[in-house]
Amino acid sequence: MEQNKNGKKTGIGVFICQCGKNIAGGVDIPALLDFSRGLEEVVFVADNKFSCSEEGQIVIQNAIRDSDLERVIIAACDPGLHLMTFQRCGQKIGIDPAFVDLIDIRKWTMFGSPDKVDEKHALDNAKRLIEQTVKRMRLRRKIPKVTVEVNPSVLVIGGGVAGLEASLDLADKGYKVHLVERLPTIGGKMALLYKVFPTNDCAPCILAPKTAYTNIHPNINLLTNSEVTKVEGHIGNFSVVVSQKPRYVDEKKCTGCGLCIEKCPTKVVDNEYSRGLGERKAIYIPYDQAIPKKAVIDTQNCLYFQKGSCKICEKICPTSAINFKQEPKTIELKVGAIIVATGFDEYNPTQKTEYGYGRYSNVITQFQLARLLDIDGPTKGRLLRPADGKEPRSIVMIQCVGSRDENANRYCSSVCCMYALKHAQIIKEMVLPDTQVYISYIDIRTTGKGFEEYYKRTREIGVNFIHGRPAEVVENNETKNLILKVEDSDINELLKLEVDLIILSCATVPSKGTKHLAELLRVNLDENGFFKEVHPKLRPVETNVRGVYICGSAQGPKDIPDSIVQAKAAASCADSELRKGEIQLPEFMVKQT
Amino acid sequence: MQEVYVEDFMSPGCVGCPVVKEMLKGLSEELSGEITVEEVDITVDTTRAAQYGVMSVPAIAVNGVLKFMGVPKKEELKKALMEELERDE
Repeated sequence: MEQNKNGKKTGIGVFICQCGKNIAGGVDIPALLDFSRGLEEVVFVADNKFSCSEEGQIVIQNAIRDSDLERVIIAACDPGLHLMTFQRCGQKIGIDPAFVDLIDIRKWTMFGSPDKVDEKHALDNAKRLIEQTVKRMRLRRKIPKVTVEVNPSVLVIGGGVAGLEASLDLADKGYKVHLVERLPTIGGKMALLYKVFPTNDCAPCILAPKTAYTNIHPNINLLTNSEVTKVEGHIGNFSVVVSQKPRYVDEKKCTGCGLCIEKCPTKVVDNEYSRGLGERKAIYIPYDQAIPKKAVIDTQNCLYFQKGSCKICEKICPTSAINFKQEPKTIELKVGAIIVATGFDEYNPTQKTEYGYGRYSNVITQFQLARLLDIDGPTKGRLLRPADGKEPRSIVMIQCVGSRDENANRYCSSVCCMYALKHAQIIKEMVLPDTQVYISYIDIRTTGKGFEEYYKRTREIGVNFIHGRPAEVVENNETKNLILKVEDSDINELLKLEVDLIILSCATVPSKGTKHLAELLRVNLDENGFFKEVHPKLRPVETNVRGVYICGSAQGPKDIPDSIVQAKAAASCADSELRKGEIQLPEFMVKQT
Repeated sequence: MQEVYVEDFMSPGCVGCPVVKEMLKGLSEELSGEITVEEVDITVDTTRAAQYGVMSVPAIAVNGVLKFMGVPKKEELKKALMEELERDE
């Protein structure tokens, strides 16, 4: 420990962490100490093996006391990780958190860091950063703070399984929850899955208790057919504007009897629940277990809205629930925290022209297959080829469509291997046992609990695995069969297959509207367009905006168990802040809003 | 000589940020005194932005106090910098 008093005004201490060998192994620590000692108003300089350790923190506290330090700089690691540690350490001995700063020099020295540079550049960079930070700290004034009351309510955006879980957790803790869902029903993508891995449970059966409870929970205000259009304010006191589209059906009067649907003369392709493989009417309830089970009119296809005549639904409705004059509603909410659970969309495979999706009707996606396999789906669980309604005798599933692909998305979508295995099992065991099922893959990734066993089981029941990705799919014009060539690298053989049906395991991509919502919330997105967490390992559900949390596939591709875990984590983070009742914030932030 | 440390909070793709950058560059040359400008990318340094309560960019902190969110008028920014430069400690 060394001291150097030169023109002391603010009394700055610079602490350089060795981080074991993580920093000391990549930069000349004595040179950094010498350099720091010479900086204006620096009166104390020391290095330490681990500044974050109990011993390291005591060194800092002793120096503050013995050398009358007023400001402290720790040159160590990412402030997202440890700034709070050192602010608390300083606070214990009377230093305002604004006068404790942590700067990251480890990114230039640590093996494996993407920013690692050689020792000379690490020294130059670290010197520059320390010099700049000393200057900033020398001139910095205390950040004025004010205490604000916290509104004990939460906005949850997205009514999929993650949003439902977060809503129920918080509502059960006693907070008022406003759950906003863009579609007319809650349940999200899980409602379309038919079955879920690795238990092969019926998806709607395990989802329904959550949707049903959400619908009746006294602390949950369910706003379907609604979108967030404006967000202002700060943690503790966000002002939110929600725009609710009209259903043209009075929710209070509609009993969900379905008579209007039965009599409606207009049939249209159902792109939502049946993924384009079935039909619905212009007035519809998305599916039998929909919550709320209330009809909604699709104005794009309703005869009355398009041509000015019909109104059969209005005439037939036994409770006079139809209301063609319903207007969009603007709802203003005050909430203390916001949870984003906007989920994902399935990648549009028409972009991968080599697989012929959109051109060849017997090329479908895994979500479409789920609808065909579902006993409540458009074919009532019969697996039939879209081109001719015949049962397929051979099927190829192509993995990583739009994932792990330099020309589409570089990331792994993490769930596609498992849902392909699931569908292969369902086909072989429940639907068409004699049909040949091939899975054409790059790698099979089954890292969850019970997943590897699930994979083994899929192999044991006779599903064929081809280690390779086909370059192209061609249709036989007459039979509508599909021909593909694929090199199986396990047996070093070029296989030519003619199959009845091809299923594309498409990437998981950010849901429509993610960018717009991120702008409204001022939350950062990652390089793939998903909501970005503060730290990918240690703060996975917090965002750059305090009081706004993320969970489920809105943060990145993930399966249901992981979505549930994150939803609970996000609810817990919101609870931690809200339960305080009041909160200290920078004055400017409060004044602005 | 009086000094000012300006933290210019910005992010890639922000429309107003280059305007603020230019404004600060111009004022650094125009005003006497030492003005240090640090660009802080809020998508990289989220902790610093959160500490100040920066919720949108551009935003400007002068000597550790957040003064502006959005693009300020040049005169307002000049006034804020001069107040700090002329301040008696």
